[in-house]
Amino acid sequence: MTFIYRGIALFVLAFVLRCMLREKDFWKQVTATMVIVPLAMRILLIK
Amino acid sequence: MDIRLKGTNKTALFLLALALTVMGWTGRSYRAMHEPDVVVPAPGYTEHRLSEWFDGIAGTPADTAVYIQDSGISGGTVFVMGGTHPNEPAASMAAVLLLERARVATGRLIVVPFANMMAFSHNSPQEGHPRKMHFTLSDGSIRDFRYGSRATNPIYQWPAPDIYIHHPSGQQLAGSESSNLNRAHPGLPEGNLTRRLAYALLEMIRKEKVDLAFDLHEASPEYPVVNAIVAHERSMELAAMVTMELEAQGIPMRLEPSPANLRGLTHREWGDNSDVMPILMETGNPSQGRFRGRTDERLVLTGEDRFYAKASELGRLFIPYVKDQPIDLRVARHVTAVMSFMEMLGFVKPEAEIVVDGVPGFEEILGKGVGAFLTPLSHRSLQ
Repeated sequence: MTFIYRGIALFVLAFVLRCMLREKDFWKQVTATMVIVPLAMRILLIK
Repeated sequence: MDIRLKGTNKTALFLLALALTVMGWTGRSYRAMHEPDVVVPAPGYTEHRLSEWFDGIAGTPADTAVYIQDSGISGGTVFVMGGTHPNEPAASMAAVLLLERARVATGRLIVVPFANMMAFSHNSPQEGHPRKMHFTLSDGSIRDFRYGSRATNPIYQWPAPDIYIHHPSGQQLAGSESSNLNRAHPGLPEGNLTRRLAYALLEMIRKEKVDLAFDLHEASPEYPVVNAIVAHERSMELAAMVTMELEAQGIPMRLEPSPANLRGLTHREWGDNSDVMPILMETGNPSQGRFRGRTDERLVLTGEDRFYAKASELGRLFIPYVKDQPIDLRVARHVTAVMSFMEMLGFVKPEAEIVVDGVPGFEEILGKGVGAFLTPLSHRSLQ
């Protein structure tokens, strides 16, 4: 089960990264950064 | 104030680098919680893994150390478990103290100081709990132990279901309880890791023919079942004797019968699914209570909190609380009660007599502190 949810988290992370690189507003990029940290840590099974 | 800054690929990469730095810094801190606490078992203990009794947890983070001291003289087998809920530190510290001090003269003593290792590797979110607590030893050295969470770490078991249905009773609980070891008993060999851990513990109790088993806990001072013994029907006579003995020593103790319809807890399921006499005990821990103010290591160790003092003045607590509730007192209560149970076991089950020496008494632990009875790590190689 954990693999499925890690896969979902990875999928969401890829989209957040894509949006971040295309975003023209710096503050929205900052918001994306704050989303990336916990998502990546969950995928890596750190937190 | 509206500060508009243009976002570019360069700013995105800069922020990504910042995110990686934050992850590296915090990740190191989180990973440190996965390092097991070091214990120094007293001479005579042999170390085992719980997976020896149920290989369904072998190689998983649910597997935990089991220490057995066999006197070689026929008698009873007693099992002491701490760390069901790692945010209840006096429970695991009482088990550690028995592990590092006990000398078994008759019968066998089994100690599992850190039952749910998967819950020791993180803190509960939004509680502000410390990661570790430190004890100063008699030689001036310091040993630390983790302060964990009530629940299994979600990295091992995630996500929680909306509703947790207990096996085999069908009792329905909040989904988050699927990560609570003390709602998982008697366990399920094909279940999630928490349920498999519960199953492994029961398998050990059955296969080792344990006579008396303890599951040590702590509770909020405002929770009614605190400073209490919860006993299964089979353990009630012995628990009543111990309660009277403790009261006579000036240690206030409630005696609660295990509710027959509250499923998944050790005091119910161990008793219903094996021949053991199960006992669950609670002490009052302000660092897990809802009334507490500043939450830090000092609160964990001293239990000193002005909001609890006020609540006590208003008569809202179920423990005698003047200004503090130190971990030394809480550990002393657990250790003294366990020793009292072991001393009296032979009266209700003569063939299960057990004699354990070397464990400090209530006043000794209270006076010198828990640290005085922990073995310095420098002595590890000597044993």
